[in-house]
Amino acid sequence: MPSISRFLCASVLACTVSTGFAAGNNPSQPDARMHWHQAIQSGYQSLAKEADELRHAAEAYCEAPHTKAKTRLEQEWLDAMLAWQRVRFVDFGPVERNNLSWQFQFWPDPKNLIARKAGNLLGSDQPISDERVDRSGVAVQGFPMLEYLIFDEAFAASERALPAKRTCTLLTAVARHIHANSQQVSTDWQDFKTPYLNNEPYRDTTIKAGMAALEILEERRLAQPMGLRGNGKRNLYITDAWRSGASLQTVEATVQGLQQQFLPGLKDLLEQSGEAAIADRINRQFTEVLDNFPAQNPSMAVSLTDGQAFRALQNLYVDVSQLTTLVNDEAAVALGVVRGFNSSDGD
Amino acid sequence: MNRNRRHLLKAALAGGLAANLTGCGLLPRKTGHQPEHYSAAVGLPDGRFGVSTFNRLGTPLWKADVESRCHSGCNRPGGNEVLFFERRPGWSFYVFDATTGARQQRIRAAKDEHFVGHGVFSGDGRWLYATASRYHEGEGIVAVYDAEQGYQRVNTFDLAGIGPHQITLHPDGETLLIGLGGILTHPDYDRLKLNLDTMDPALILMNRRTGNLVGRLRPEHPRQSVRHLDASPSGQVYVAYQYQGPLHERPPLLARLANGRLQAIRFDDETQAGLANYIASVIAHPENDLVAAASPVGGTAVVFEGSTGKLVAQASIPDCAGVQALAGGDFLISSGQGQLIRLGAHRPAREIASLSLYWDHHLI
Repeated sequence: MPSISRFLCASVLACTVSTGFAAGNNPSQPDARMHWHQAIQSGYQSLAKEADELRHAAEAYCEAPHTKAKTRLEQEWLDAMLAWQRVRFVDFGPVERNNLSWQFQFWPDPKNLIARKAGNLLGSDQPISDERVDRSGVAVQGFPMLEYLIFDEAFAASERALPAKRTCTLLTAVARHIHANSQQVSTDWQDFKTPYLNNEPYRDTTIKAGMAALEILEERRLAQPMGLRGNGKRNLYITDAWRSGASLQTVEATVQGLQQQFLPGLKDLLEQSGEAAIADRINRQFTEVLDNFPAQNPSMAVSLTDGQAFRALQNLYVDVSQLTTLVNDEAAVALGVVRGFNSSDGD
Repeated sequence: MNRNRRHLLKAALAGGLAANLTGCGLLPRKTGHQPEHYSAAVGLPDGRFGVSTFNRLGTPLWKADVESRCHSGCNRPGGNEVLFFERRPGWSFYVFDATTGARQQRIRAAKDEHFVGHGVFSGDGRWLYATASRYHEGEGIVAVYDAEQGYQRVNTFDLAGIGPHQITLHPDGETLLIGLGGILTHPDYDRLKLNLDTMDPALILMNRRTGNLVGRLRPEHPRQSVRHLDASPSGQVYVAYQYQGPLHERPPLLARLANGRLQAIRFDDETQAGLANYIASVIAHPENDLVAAASPVGGTAVVFEGSTGKLVAQASIPDCAGVQALAGGDFLISSGQGQLIRLGAHRPAREIASLSLYWDHHLI
């Protein structure tokens, strides 16, 4: 048994019962959270507005299913989906209730539950209603289900394709569900203002949300589909919005959302901590990512197969990776935020 | 995690997998089984997962690769085996030779079941009790295996509830203690929590021979998910919660079983805030009245008197999760950043080792 003196030579941590915690010791910085709250509120309001237009477009198309109405429906789906991508990084607060985040977007979907659920609903004898959609689980309730009904090529060639009546019923019910959820989360976010501003731990929670979004963007939305991980094979079907060909647009919208809604508060904190240089570099890197975004938003299918388009995708990956390093390594360290192996586990 | 990975990669390149003992020659001895060895599921700098055992010199005795991330495990009493369970949803558990790390068996979950990361042996080392879920029905069960028959599945005990997690054996040798988290999940939906509005968590007491439920003790609030627990040799039982509500609500996260109910233990507001509504491990020290708990989300470890709930030590340790009792009365805390920290009631917390890996949730 080693003597106690062995351990006296060890480093003493900054911790005893009389000392505080990293989270608790941070000076209150309500300006940053005020900034974040306002920006995220704006993001949710935009989502609610776009979801309202999507709902109207779905109903209008099903009342008069002509080509122009279908084109409008496709565009409104994309606009609402991109509005969601801009605020998707927020993984705390009201969006946690009832798994709203998952209701908006069930992803990833390795077992293709979207198609299976659609098949079950459309193939059964039970009436489709708003209530049934409410009870049908997250794979039915969000943007991916609408994307399947509107864009899936195999489905479009089937007898159930839009504007089949039952499919239209499902389309409009899901669109109403998304709209109701978007209104709910926008209202709840406003009500969340007081606890958000008054509770210091939400500082780290918000920073970790941005970090997680960047990590997911780099690893799961780019590196994995590009074949940079695992078995090395490129895989379109693990991207989000692959059916509509809008995967890269969703990536771009997420970066835009982080720039508009996450960066301002982060910048406040870094500047208050004497780390304005890091804030400037992050600011420039956001601009770099968005300025160099692959032109004309090629679909991920093209980007993964065409040599020149893939090189553009590689450049995007490098830019996003550098942004992730700046935020998740340098800024997080400067602000004392740790997003760890265990802390993000959930068990 | 990327940041950790990058840091650990640098450390791994510099120093291999061996521990960097912070100015010390030996790690402290543990209490209980295998007191000279530390075992844990680990994440490796290159992104792979493993199980590893270190001796008190910080030298890895062995490292075994596993196909997917593991969570916790148990030493087989009277034998030379150590078991580890895959993280929820776990499709396997592994049996290793405790000396060499040779993988002896991989036992797969039964059809339509998955493990949840924990198991415990009967005192004689024959029967293994593993918490599991029948995921189509959402039913929590205890799966019973006969270690003497090559871990043949021999029985199944129903928990009449959802989401079991940690299981341990009461010192009476007959009663299984099971943390029933109350949260419904399904492998098709990643780790999505499907029933937060109808959660019914509890501490379950079960006769290990018959599977009869002999106690179901519910926390004060249905969103206090009962995940982890421990029992001291004298029979004091402690449970740790993960609260499934907003961060700004700060309910108690620990409780002791007394007078037939779960008596909540709540610290001051600042300490509660540091625990961030999430506790990953709780251990009652077998040599004294102290209990330790760790929160990786809050980056905080605490030590308190079990009988009074009085806080006696706390430490800020980023990503801390594993807790073990050390001979002499202190605790060892492991972190996802490779640290081993000694924490006790009467001296400042000290880092005693730093390793180029991520310690996963539990240290055994």
